[in-house]
Amino acid sequence: MVRAWRANRILFLVFCLSLSLLLIGLSSAGLLGPLEEVASIPLNLLTGALNEATLTLTGGVSDLAQLQTLQQRNAALEDALADLTAELVELREIARDYERLAELLDYAGTAASQEFVTADVISNDQTGLRRSITVNRGTRDGIAVGMPVVTAQGLVGRVLEISANASRILLVTDRDSAVSARLQGTRVQGSLRGQLSGSLRLTLVPPGESIVVGDLVLTSGLGGNFPPDIVIGQVASSRQFQFELFQEAEVISFNNFDELEVVLVMTSFEPIDPAVFDVMEN
Amino acid sequence: MGPWVGLPVLLLAVALQTTLVPQIRLWDGGPDLVFLCVLAWALRAPLAEGVAWAFTGGIMQDLLSLAPTGQSVIGLVLLVFVVNVLTEQFSRAGLLTLLLLAGVGTLAQQLLMWTLFAFQGFTVDFLDDLGYVIFPTVVYNFALILPVFAVLRFVQRRVEARQLVAR
Repeated sequence: MVRAWRANRILFLVFCLSLSLLLIGLSSAGLLGPLEEVASIPLNLLTGALNEATLTLTGGVSDLAQLQTLQQRNAALEDALADLTAELVELREIARDYERLAELLDYAGTAASQEFVTADVISNDQTGLRRSITVNRGTRDGIAVGMPVVTAQGLVGRVLEISANASRILLVTDRDSAVSARLQGTRVQGSLRGQLSGSLRLTLVPPGESIVVGDLVLTSGLGGNFPPDIVIGQVASSRQFQFELFQEAEVISFNNFDELEVVLVMTSFEPIDPAVFDVMEN
Repeated sequence: MGPWVGLPVLLLAVALQTTLVPQIRLWDGGPDLVFLCVLAWALRAPLAEGVAWAFTGGIMQDLLSLAPTGQSVIGLVLLVFVVNVLTEQFSRAGLLTLLLLAGVGTLAQQLLMWTLFAFQGFTVDFLDDLGYVIFPTVVYNFALILPVFAVLRFVQRRVEARQLVAR
């Protein structure tokens, strides 16, 4: 009976394809969640161990290949450090003034009250068409969907899917990621979208607004998905076509998204879901 | 025994796919190791065994990506059936068939993944994706099919020898 079934290849193919489509449907509807969670545990363990080894290996090879460049870069960084030390002293003075004034106004700053959970990156999205990473922290560590993820270099993305011991982060460089952003210097606002090449593009900037190359791009906090003033990157170039309604700017992130090892999940920030206002209106 | 050998082989392929491959990407395309393993194994394996590899590899791949579980399986299952038909027609698949399957099969698998992403409402751009992701993946798979086939053929021969001894 089984042989007869297998011999009928077309029927077998139809069965396999139907099973695949059923899996896609159930997975998209979230009905496979618990099974997927259990099945991904050994995969996450293996990829976690292998990712560390791979990054060490590729990092070593890359460092050797770029030894001369690294020496030049080191010299440039030492010069920059000397300049920045002076600036740091100045900024510390300003910070003290700010704290004093904030106390006087009884203003509670948001940045000071942020709490983070450190997470190791255990894998990258295997399809080149999407940009996500998986980290080894989940609901057990207090992580929830929508929480922002950062490194010392700036914004990485936000938590998209979650299990007990792992989370999938949608990177800001994914084409379906949109972050409300503004330029630090000119306060110009726009929407930052990921590009296929892994770069970032600031869009929806009104014409006539000044975009300065080298200006820092920060989260604006609009929309409630991200807290304000997280560094995203730096403006590399800008352009405006004659008949376009908006200007655009290419933004370079300070993060190297292919070589992320450790990230911080901002657990104290609760993203706002605008849909609640629709419910309230109804 | 074949399907069980697939588990560690595909586990390693998926783990390398999500750790090593992002470091060696050409633009946004990299070798699709699971695809290569399934293709190489299916060439000399019975249909049901190839399908088992396709399901195992595809599901593992999807568990580590934003794609819903089962999305990668469709292309791999189709590949296994095509391989089965071709090997039946020509009795032994030669080098050219292998290279052709790697090239055309990868292109078909990538286009299918692209279509399914588009169908689910994700942002896609055909020409950009073709140039940045799909074409480099085809080139990588074309270049890597022979070494992957050689390694898996060696494993397959060991498995077959053990099965003969067991009988």
